[in-house]
Amino acid sequence: MTPIIETQSLVKVYRADGVETPALRGVDLAVAPGEFVSIMGPSGCGKSTLLYLLGLLATPTEGTVRIDGQDAGTLGDGGRTRLRRRHIGYVFQRFNLLPTLSAEENVGLPMRLRGERPGSAPREMLRAVGLEEKRRRRPNQLSVGEQQRVAIARALATRPTVLLADEPTGNLDSEASDRVMDLVGRLHRGTGQAIVLITHNRQVADRADRLIRMHDGRLVDA
Amino acid sequence: MLPLANILARPLRTAVSVLAVGVGVALFLVLVGLTGMLDEIARRTTQVEAHLMVWPASDQVVVSGGLPAEKVEKDLEGVAGVEHAIPVLRWPFKMAGRVQNVYGIRPEDWRYFASEDQILEGRALADGPEMVIDARLAAAGGYRVGQTVERWGHAFRIVGIAKEGVAGRVFMPIDTVGEALQQTSRRASFFYVRVVDPSHVAAVREAIRERGLNVFTLEEFYDVLASSFIDMDLVIGSVVFVAGFVCFLVILLTVYTMVIERTHEIGILKGIGASRAQVFGLVLSEAGLIAGAGIVTGFLLTWGGRALILHLQPLWTVEIPPLRYLLAALLAAGGTLLGAAQPAARAARQDPVESLRYE
Ligand SMILES: Nc1ncnc2c1ncn2[C@@H]1O[C@H](COP(=O)(O)OP(=O)(O)O)[C@@H](O)[C@H]1O
Ligand SMILES: [Mg+2]
Repeated sequence: MTPIIETQSLVKVYRADGVETPALRGVDLAVAPGEFVSIMGPSGCGKSTLLYLLGLLATPTEGTVRIDGQDAGTLGDGGRTRLRRRHIGYVFQRFNLLPTLSAEENVGLPMRLRGERPGSAPREMLRAVGLEEKRRRRPNQLSVGEQQRVAIARALATRPTVLLADEPTGNLDSEASDRVMDLVGRLHRGTGQAIVLITHNRQVADRADRLIRMHDGRLVDA
Repeated sequence: MLPLANILARPLRTAVSVLAVGVGVALFLVLVGLTGMLDEIARRTTQVEAHLMVWPASDQVVVSGGLPAEKVEKDLEGVAGVEHAIPVLRWPFKMAGRVQNVYGIRPEDWRYFASEDQILEGRALADGPEMVIDARLAAAGGYRVGQTVERWGHAFRIVGIAKEGVAGRVFMPIDTVGEALQQTSRRASFFYVRVVDPSHVAAVREAIRERGLNVFTLEEFYDVLASSFIDMDLVIGSVVFVAGFVCFLVILLTVYTMVIERTHEIGILKGIGASRAQVFGLVLSEAGLIAGAGIVTGFLLTWGGRALILHLQPLWTVEIPPLRYLLAALLAAGGTLLGAAQPAARAARQDPVESLRYE
């Protein structure tokens, strides 16, 4: 089966103020459709950077990222945006939501950006994450855990083939974290989306089909 | 939805920017409206059933307030093609708290200044110590037919009120004005001249010029009067420029601040699938909303400002041609786009990874 996401010899070097920081030093990773992969590793080892590259939010210094068999490096900005819209749902560590919009509007936004009318989809997604009642609230009227659940609802509203989540439970207590992870697991089983999830929490990581460890810009074992 | 939510999230800043655009728009429109006042004077001065205007030559010594009316009239009527010369003794005269120009004319010439149906109340000018005023002045000073006005040690009776648009706001018999000014013979400040055949106006004008008088067709006179306002245009132009520039700067600053403080949100937008064009468009539509509200505010301020001016100065004219509203809107929209384009482009280019860093 062709991987839904595949990288080859991915290298990323940040250049800021004349200082070069190698964040990825050659990463080969393949994620099968529907597969749930978790990534663990010490802070600064390049996990977020890897996820940005997988989500086409940044371009690699060297190497390639393929999504659904298509080499993103051959595409312009517009082509990458379209590929991202079709395949990727993204959940960041925190502050995922636009503060001036309600939960429901936040969830509907990716569809609007694709030129679609959200209709009742955002409300249904919010029901799926247990927040239908709070759909009119602004982010600052929601707890951090609730905000993350809204972010997950938003990431999944466009039915992407891959969900990328960067420490989505990193700022949550264990109860809220369990709740979010139960939700991710349930949605994953229900929709068959692939998931790449970064976490510091071993229990969270263990829910995945496969656990990958990272160290100093490389994947260490499988 | 998002642009509106965003600008409403900062009500004070939005209000200040909207007001800045609004004041710019209103300043432009009211100033344009005031130039209409000069135009109104030029228009009404040439609103006479005649073809030419004759003034003393600039090097001619004019004694005791004008040309010797009878002599010049005879001279003019001696020119081939001239049908009739109409002397006017124009003199300042205070009414309704303002200095007006009295048009001293011969009562038999009245028909060249106003038609029958332009008399709204009372009657046309006849002889004696009387006057006809226009409706604007009547309204501004609360004057009625039958009332008398005392000036120059005489009492003048208002016998008629004419529709606005006639050449003068106050008409009196030319000899009444002359007597009041203690002139010993009839004098004229200038003449309107009617020609027999309007297609020969140019030739008649040449013939009058050869007699050493200053002569204009009514169209020329209108243009001369209008061109004497060029300095005014320059002043207005500068004010418009400054107002436009301040608008532009305010918008630039507002949108720039908006983009800077929303760096993280712009990263999120890109993360969830916004293209560069969409981010650019989003920022621009926020600026567009501000401009739109600013233009509407500007129109309201213009309307209020005009009402205020007319309340304080009832005889002023604030006339804003509808196309100027369009022009003001276009200027404001243009300035806004110019001010917003750079920050919007910056937002569109922004690296999402940079914007999403929390550290
Ligand atoms: N925008 C950036 N500019 C410069 N250096 C960066 C940038 N983002 C990350 N880094 C550096 O790259 C390395 C990897 O960072 P990151 O991918 O955020 O690691 P992790 O998510 O595993 O903590 C770190 O040393 C970090 O300081
Ligand atoms: Mg990280």
